[in-house]
Amino acid sequence: MSSTLSALQEWLLSSVKPDEFAERDPKTAGVRFEALVPAAQIVAVATRFREAGYFLESETAVDFAECVELVYHFNRWDRAERCCVKVLVAKDGGQPGDGTWRAPSLWPVYKSADWFEREIHEFFGVTFTGHPGLKRLLLPESSTIYPLLKSFKGEPKGSDVEQSLKLIGEDAAGFDLNRKQSLTCKDRDFYLNLGPQHPSTHGVLRVLLHLTGERVIDAEPIIGYSHRHQEKMMEIQTYPACWPNMGRLDYVGAMSYNMAYALLIERAMGVSPSPRVEAIRVLTTELNRISSHLLWMGTYLLDLGGFTPFFYCFDDREKVLDILEMATGERLTYDYFRFGGLDKDIPAEMLPAIRAFLPEFTKHLKDYDKLVRKNVIFRKRVEGLGRLTRDTALSYGVTGPMLRATGVAADLRRTEPYSIYPQLDFDVVTAEGGDAYARYVVRVREMEESVKIVRQLIERIPDGEITLGKLPKNVPKGEYYSAVESARGTFGMYLVSDGTLNPYRIKLRTPSFSNLSSLPALLPGCLISDVVSVLGSTDIVLPEIDR
Amino acid sequence: MEMNDDLLRPQSPAPGLVNLFKVEDAFNLARANSLWPLTFGLACCAIEFMAGGAARYDLDRFGFGVARPSPRQADLMIVAGTISRKMVPCIKTLYDQMASPKYVIALGGCATAGGPFKYPGQYGILEGIDKIIPVNVYVPGCPPRPEALIAGILELKKLVIAGKTQGTLSPAVVNDSQDARPADYKNAISRADFRKPPAPPAAAPAPAAS
Amino acid sequence: MTPIPPVFEELIRIVLYGTLAILFVSVNALFLVWMERRVAARLQLRRGPIHVGPQGLLQTVADAVKLLTKELVRPYASDRFLYALAPVLAFAPLLGAFIILPLGPGAIIRDLNIGFLLLFSLANISFIGIFIAGWSSNNKYALLGSMRAVAQNISYEIPLMLSTMGVVLTTGTLRMTEIVAAQDRIWFILLQPVAFLIFFCASLAEANRAPFDIPEAESELVAGFHTEYSGMRFALFFLGEYTAIFVSSAIAATLFLGGWQGPLLPGPVWLLLKTYLLVLIVMWIRWTFPRLRSDQLMAFAWKVLIPFALLNLLGTAVWVSMRNLLA
Repeated sequence: MSSTLSALQEWLLSSVKPDEFAERDPKTAGVRFEALVPAAQIVAVATRFREAGYFLESETAVDFAECVELVYHFNRWDRAERCCVKVLVAKDGGQPGDGTWRAPSLWPVYKSADWFEREIHEFFGVTFTGHPGLKRLLLPESSTIYPLLKSFKGEPKGSDVEQSLKLIGEDAAGFDLNRKQSLTCKDRDFYLNLGPQHPSTHGVLRVLLHLTGERVIDAEPIIGYSHRHQEKMMEIQTYPACWPNMGRLDYVGAMSYNMAYALLIERAMGVSPSPRVEAIRVLTTELNRISSHLLWMGTYLLDLGGFTPFFYCFDDREKVLDILEMATGERLTYDYFRFGGLDKDIPAEMLPAIRAFLPEFTKHLKDYDKLVRKNVIFRKRVEGLGRLTRDTALSYGVTGPMLRATGVAADLRRTEPYSIYPQLDFDVVTAEGGDAYARYVVRVREMEESVKIVRQLIERIPDGEITLGKLPKNVPKGEYYSAVESARGTFGMYLVSDGTLNPYRIKLRTPSFSNLSSLPALLPGCLISDVVSVLGSTDIVLPEIDR
Repeated sequence: MEMNDDLLRPQSPAPGLVNLFKVEDAFNLARANSLWPLTFGLACCAIEFMAGGAARYDLDRFGFGVARPSPRQADLMIVAGTISRKMVPCIKTLYDQMASPKYVIALGGCATAGGPFKYPGQYGILEGIDKIIPVNVYVPGCPPRPEALIAGILELKKLVIAGKTQGTLSPAVVNDSQDARPADYKNAISRADFRKPPAPPAAAPAPAAS
Repeated sequence: MTPIPPVFEELIRIVLYGTLAILFVSVNALFLVWMERRVAARLQLRRGPIHVGPQGLLQTVADAVKLLTKELVRPYASDRFLYALAPVLAFAPLLGAFIILPLGPGAIIRDLNIGFLLLFSLANISFIGIFIAGWSSNNKYALLGSMRAVAQNISYEIPLMLSTMGVVLTTGTLRMTEIVAAQDRIWFILLQPVAFLIFFCASLAEANRAPFDIPEAESELVAGFHTEYSGMRFALFFLGEYTAIFVSSAIAATLFLGGWQGPLLPGPVWLLLKTYLLVLIVMWIRWTFPRLRSDQLMAFAWKVLIPFALLNLLGTAVWVSMRNLLA
């Protein structure tokens, strides 16, 4: 335990006086300690954490019969010291959303709390005092449900059509209301909706831009257009039935999400897979990371108006998909890992295929990089654009390539090693500047590092079983946290298990969610063309944000 | 949507004086070979749609590659992905904004019937786009491969040539009397039961009761 | 049989030439779109349209027929008259270019003494059409697109004109036939390489082609100024864009590449060959470069093209006066 952490713990115990405190084993629980602090103290605790260089990794809630438990996870960039702090919100006979369930907002300390708290507000009905704009985040504005409460027993059959028709009606009414508003209004500023259907929002994101001319004054991302109730769904399914959800969270880089879920349950059950399984897992994850970054590279240049790179990147991506398809049988929404093992062993032809692919791809990547990086228009379009400072990144909980582009070597594969990453030789890629160009550099170089990892692995995949045989169907009672470095950043899973066949609560801490929430800090001052460029450089996947 | 379907179908040459079906056939042939999709993706399937347009599968071979970002200029809406309820008004608007004749392909399980995200009592998605707008071709898969998408568009092409472009709307269930919500939904457990007795803090004195 | 009065003769000639020009423009645009798609496919590891007709040649015909038969949507809040006028205004003036295009010695509709100045004046009308399109659609994306188009047009008109002035100074005429005739020994691309480059860049911008396609920037403004247009009206914009490319390439070929001049083959064939070569380069550029930002676009015009065009003009003037003194 580092001195910062022990000082923090000391301070917590002596001045905050937590109601409950327990040190936990980070190897199984994923956190250093859990502390239950009085609600009035949480802002002070968060301020202290922020001063010590911690960011708010996730904030969520768990519904219990007598109270809603708010769970805050703080973590560091340079080393994994995840700390869990909890606050109880007593129910006291109040109703969700009526304002009686109250907790102080962390928004003054961490900007990332904005969206986390809006999400808790809409799913649990907790009201945060001091929050600047507590409204629905993922569900339609007119929703009345608090679906992650256990008292929510599902909607009756046919309500999907009913609500859809209602929303269409609301939409039409809102349109009628705005129809009279002319373009020739007196003020020089106006609002522009970028999305939900826009070629460059990478899915169904809506960015409400406040513009003067083409210059952005303010921007507000509006999300939830791809909300697929994954967290509620996982509460109703058995543990193995949650696998397909992991493949569909971030369909572009699904292997990392498989990895996190496998890690979570294996830690909870106290089992570890054979070295062969670990090697194959890392191999497929890194190949998937390459395909994910390739897709980003193609679509990003498409956003900038260069069509052809898209086709080249997709062509190479298809080759990666071919290789992964040999093992998984799928092209996209991988559902390959199992608890303690894999769905099936890799076929004999896979390793030769990778061997044939790697030199070709390395050459292509070098060519593409040269073509893109030496293009003067590209440089002019991205350099100095969407500059993210470390302080902003800390405040918004930004992770992944976006964070590494600010020069911070934060990569969970190194800072919180899992699987066989400690035995592998690779560098954590960083770049200086924090602008769109730095993000480009980081992602391209990360592909090179992934190639390096794959190259090491194909030479030394050990023999062994690919499954551990029968495992218990339930997970021991308790709380568990696992996190992996996905192609987009830190993907964390928080599980509360009550020991039955399905999870009591699963929180998916997705990297794009926090990365996207930093958009309002990046956009002001940009032109519309730059909005597209900055948005593209964050590399978001919407269903992963909306879950 | 009870329109006379027969009127829109080319029939065997009627014994009428003038037979205008030939012109319509020629138009249909042109339409069938020039289905411009709307640049529009919802979730996973959209990536396969993109892959379909990319180098290996190349939708442009058949003339389907001119993806138009503006609904006014598109002929074909490929509903690619899960339809969240929040998105429904947007999809409906986009469909309304498209100029006739327009066609819809439901790509993948979600757009067809809710796919893997359908479960009893779900609160987030619309179970199939055909409850809101008429669908011409359904492409199964989760997500369908680009080949399947191409097959779906070619199927649509056949329908357009034959003039069968009415599309289908599924009977929407509103206010079903049979409420089939399962017992899978757990009740909240007591926190006191769930937590082990709190471990005494290591350094501090015993905490005050909350 | 009485001889036809000259007025009617003229009228018949106008109708005939007009029909021929429209016919050529339409067929040419269909061919250019097909060519564009095949060229793009070639550059992008794809095949492009191959299944409709031989080599996909009928693909664009199918597209055109489909667009003809599509519904014409008019947004509720649009300006009815201007909305319908804009596509015509954007497309029709470009046809005027064919009046002054010399296909061969003597093969020109009207050899005007103001030459290509007429063309540039007409081309500007089509920009008014684009602006009206964005304005009347009552759509913010369309309006932004048309605003960009206006700014871009005004900026690039200047280097475009200045670059042609080099040629004018050298030949001392605006007449297209005389300019071509003056290139019988050496093409002006060799005498005026800077002017050619500037003309080429500026005409790319005038035709809204990548990397200067910001008025319709697909990834930013959905479809730019023609976002709200459907069916044949949209097709007219499309037609206009390809006609503009063809015309500007033809003018470039005439001014800098010796026009109809060339060995063996007849004049019109040479002109078409040179024009298509330039069109090919335009397409190649489009599928190679990303798009500039609007402020960078302006900066490029005002800080790079115009100073160089002026320098070029100055250099030409000095050279011409020296030549005249020596002669």
